Amino acid sequence: MASSSSFKLAPASPSAQKSSMAEKALALLRSRLRDQSFAHGVFKSSPDSNYSKLKFLISTSIAEGCNNSVLLLGPRGSGKISVVELVLADLSADYPDMLSVIRLNGLLHSDDNCGLKEIARQLCLEHQLLFSKMASSDDNSQFMLDMLRECGLAHKTLIFLLDEFDLFAQGKQRLLYSLLDAMQTLSSQAVAIGVSCRLDADQLLEKRVRSRFSHRKLLFIPLTTEDLKVFLNHALYLPEDSSFSSNYVKEFNSRVKIILGDKKFNEALNSLSNVDGTIGNILRFLYQAVSYMDLASGLLTLQNFKSAILCFQKQPKLDIVKDASVLELYILVCMNRLETKEQNTYNFNSILKEYKAIHEAYKTSDHYGRTVCSRAYEHLLEQELICFVDGKGRHLSNECRPVKLLVSFSELCHGLKSNTSCPAILQKLLDHESFK
Amino acid sequence: MAATPSKSRVKPSPPAPQTPASGPRRSLRLSSTPRTPVHCYDPSSPRKSAKKSKRSLLKTPAFCPITPNLPESKRRRRSGPDSNPSKKKIYFKRVVFDGVGFEIGDAVYVKRREDAESDGDEPEVEECRICFEVGNFVMVECDDCLGGFHLGCLKPPLKKVPEGDWICGYCEARKMGKVVELPKPPAWKKIKRTAKEKLLSSDLWAARIESLWKEPDGTYWLRCRWYMIPEETAAGRQPHNLRRELYRTNDTANIEMDSVIRHCFVMNPKDFFEANDEGDDVFYCEYEYDVHWHSFKRISEIDNSEECDEGAGNDDEWKLSKDSDSQTDEDSEKEEDTAQGTSYRKYQTHQLAANSRRGRIFGLQRIGAKRIPEHVRCHKQTELERAKAMLVLAILPKSLPCRTKEMEEITAFVKGAICDDQCLGRCLYIHGVPGTGKTMSVLSVMRNLSSEVEAGTMRPYSFIEINGLKLASPENIYKVVYEALSGHRVGWKKALHHLNERFSEGIKVGRQENQPCVLLLDELDLLLTRNQSVLYNVFDWPTRPHSKLVIIGIANTMNLPEKLLPRISSRMGIQRLCFGPYNYQQLQEIILTRLEGIDAFEEQAIEFASRKVAAMSGDARRALEICRRAADLADYRQKQLSSCTKVTSPDSSAGKCLVGMADVESAIQEVFQAPHIRIMKTSSRLSKILLVSMVHELYKSGLSEITFDKLAATVSSLCSSNREDIPGWDTLLKVGCKLGECRIILCEEGTKHKLQKLQLNFPSDDVAFALKDCPEVPWLSKYL
Repeated sequence: MASSSSFKLAPASPSAQKSSMAEKALALLRSRLRDQSFAHGVFKSSPDSNYSKLKFLISTSIAEGCNNSVLLLGPRGSGKISVVELVLADLSADYPDMLSVIRLNGLLHSDDNCGLKEIARQLCLEHQLLFSKMASSDDNSQFMLDMLRECGLAHKTLIFLLDEFDLFAQGKQRLLYSLLDAMQTLSSQAVAIGVSCRLDADQLLEKRVRSRFSHRKLLFIPLTTEDLKVFLNHALYLPEDSSFSSNYVKEFNSRVKIILGDKKFNEALNSLSNVDGTIGNILRFLYQAVSYMDLASGLLTLQNFKSAILCFQKQPKLDIVKDASVLELYILVCMNRLETKEQNTYNFNSILKEYKAIHEAYKTSDHYGRTVCSRAYEHLLEQELICFVDGKGRHLSNECRPVKLLVSFSELCHGLKSNTSCPAILQKLLDHESFK
Repeated sequence: MAATPSKSRVKPSPPAPQTPASGPRRSLRLSSTPRTPVHCYDPSSPRKSAKKSKRSLLKTPAFCPITPNLPESKRRRRSGPDSNPSKKKIYFKRVVFDGVGFEIGDAVYVKRREDAESDGDEPEVEECRICFEVGNFVMVECDDCLGGFHLGCLKPPLKKVPEGDWICGYCEARKMGKVVELPKPPAWKKIKRTAKEKLLSSDLWAARIESLWKEPDGTYWLRCRWYMIPEETAAGRQPHNLRRELYRTNDTANIEMDSVIRHCFVMNPKDFFEANDEGDDVFYCEYEYDVHWHSFKRISEIDNSEECDEGAGNDDEWKLSKDSDSQTDEDSEKEEDTAQGTSYRKYQTHQLAANSRRGRIFGLQRIGAKRIPEHVRCHKQTELERAKAMLVLAILPKSLPCRTKEMEEITAFVKGAICDDQCLGRCLYIHGVPGTGKTMSVLSVMRNLSSEVEAGTMRPYSFIEINGLKLASPENIYKVVYEALSGHRVGWKKALHHLNERFSEGIKVGRQENQPCVLLLDELDLLLTRNQSVLYNVFDWPTRPHSKLVIIGIANTMNLPEKLLPRISSRMGIQRLCFGPYNYQQLQEIILTRLEGIDAFEEQAIEFASRKVAAMSGDARRALEICRRAADLADYRQKQLSSCTKVTSPDSSAGKCLVGMADVESAIQEVFQAPHIRIMKTSSRLSKILLVSMVHELYKSGLSEITFDKLAATVSSLCSSNREDIPGWDTLLKVGCKLGECRIILCEEGTKHKLQKLQLNFPSDDVAFALKDCPEVPWLSKYL
């Protein structure tokens, strides 16, 4: 909208100019926050960063022509792959035409034959050779050995990037064995990089494979508070020497400075990193906050960040209970009552019996027929607030299959309190139970 | 300028009937000395004493210029009559031509221009650049312009040849940017150029002899592979090129023997740097140059040695097959092509998939580097880098310490089995934990034996190496064995059939006579199938009457034979050899032998590493890797340091840096310590609370697992009593699942929600250790 109006109006109009400026600023911020490599680029120069360690490791094996294998470990979202990609991009600029990267993913290629075939395919692609789908896995593994030798002779380094490394460690691990064993020869020149979020990934290796693995490990840990500050400064300020007008940049940056210094903002950030302090999570949060930016003013406000943090603190289960219909609430409460009566297996019929008992005891106005109840019951099943006990009674009809409540008692209490249409009797029933 | 000398260019010359041998063509290796006394000048003797770069020697004044084309009368002919005067090409391994023996694999100078002779007699020995005399003095060669100087002619005169590189005053001055005038030769003296100089100014060719033959008309021809000087390549002379460097090309041509001038010596890097007084015609060749793709590739040493082995090992056969080939088709082209496999022409005609034929990859020539990267050649290794290079697992040390006893046993076993006249089959089972040198010892024994075979003290045998983990399925072993024996590829059932026939009835498989065969089965336990038929078949072969099969099985477990069916274990479990784990002295010795002469490690550091590894596993690979990693860490530290201090003092990097205890310690930490403690320490606040409440709850209940419902209740009670924000249950679930992903805890999938069961994956002491003094959440220690 804003841009189209700026085309219609004369370019001199200050507001239109501002909004186009704001769009540009938004695009810039988004492009920064979109890829993790930007975030890791901030810490390029520090010698303790994983970037410089990994770069040193790969560049020495390029320069000295030796084989290496390394394992990158860390929780999801800590930027393992993006650091690797950043290092590879920089190294292929440093050593043009001397790197070729084979990318494998454990989710796709954990089968040995399939993995070898994929290696052969990517090698062929990389070197413009003709690839045959029909080749047997012997052929492919032989081809891999030959290529390792030939590339070593031509001073080319092959980099095997094994994502989800733990999944390669299933079965006989033939792929890993032949890869690591091939890397024990002098003429080859290769680096195997395993990436995994399982900390015990190297313990999964069979002992003869482990013996061939060089046991370098790089650990990816969440950012420290200082690093986070550095990164925020780096990511949110607009550059001063750019196409933006200097007034706008000044205004924008001073706003950002106020926000970064604000106590509320830091609280929000803390509550975020209390749950998950990985860089991926923080980037996602910032991206969301930036996307809330008001294009008319073109400036970030604290409100943007506040509404973004709300999105991150959602409790989906509570929300469902909050929006549930009265009958559904009845069913949930009945199930809860059955569970507190230590009746461990129950099904739709016993729930219905309980529901009728409540109805008769308290003479509530909400009485629904069996079909209506069964529809509400199915709805709850779909929302996974309740589920069937697995393995039992698969042949029975839905009404006779034993079920389990998935919402815990305290969640149910909270949900009932915040549900506006909840009848008072249900609250009472639940409270009564908790006193017992 | 003429291109490669082609057939058409070479003048037909009168036949020079010098056949290499008389009578039935026997292996020339055995009769390699020329039968006739060498009458003419043998260029090798003065060359030996000619000068060589930077290292010096006394020059013998006696030299006689050699003319490339001797007058017909001088040409010596061989006495032996040609036994096969038919109209066929006759291939030789060695030809004596002009009294000089030319062998396949030799490097020679080849005339480039028709008028090459116009240069007249070529000086065998170079003149001094200053006095233009030859003289009986020591000369030193400039490493830049390759000019020779008498030590006495230099200003100031040198007493002896300097160590290392030496650059003459003129080149030095030129490098400083000055205009220098080289001393002019006396007017009456024509500057003569040596063959080397002509070659380097592209007036001569150098080539490697690939094959030699005699045409039906009696002329001798050779197929040669050209060498190229760096200036002629697409990349031009690169700054790191040595003056004496040549590239081997993949371009070959057939030329007549007449255009060959004499020998020169093209050496691989190792020989080149070891060469001391090989004369002036020594060249350095490390790379192969692809003339079509203009790319470079290192020449692999293995390649060469294989070629040599093949040539030397079955000499007779080679000749036979060559002869028979030449009888069937007159044209050698075809045969050459199949022999080369990667021929360019072949590639163009029909494209074959690269990965479909093992061992023969089509289109590999595209892989070469367009330029040789500079860092490879010009890099001066530091002590640390040399140490690292020596510690690489792939390097085969010159000596294998600590396994002499086992190797002797293996040698005795193989020798005993092969030298036995009956050659009854035998089995040897070798077991030991990984990294104790099992495969390495067997392979080095086999290498020693194959050199004995070459020397003729042992019967020839064939050696097949199979790794169980590299077979797609256990049955494929038949296929591989059959292919190794016969060269044909068939399905495994057919292969099994053929193999059974061969072993029990002695039916010939393939072209070769049935030699004794040594079969090395690495990772034997992988050949286990459900009914163990593969192992049974394999171990049954040696008991067959005509098998001549020796099996060496390698596996990790010591009781593998006991786990097998009795009928198999009775066949394989008789002779066993155990490779025990190395103790720390042995590990230390292994590391020290590798690091001999390199001063990069502190003594205790090595001892520490080897003691640690010996206590854990006794795996030599592990010990080497730890040392390499420690060297890596030290190198990294030093490079960071030098890059920081570069501004202040540029020579700080020269300071020596030894790998110390601290480096080894951190390397060991990396290898042996699981990283979970660090992850726990740095994890988010909520996950710490979750872990602590889990430990707390598990301790209270005494059970090993806990449901999420209970855990969440504990977490919220802990939080409320310590004035923390009570987290939502869904958030807690997310945190729990994240920890589960890292395998700090083991948990069921998150969809089970409150019914999810959780378990600690590490002892609770680890959690206590990691989170006891957590500065962020100090109240946690109350619950530990």
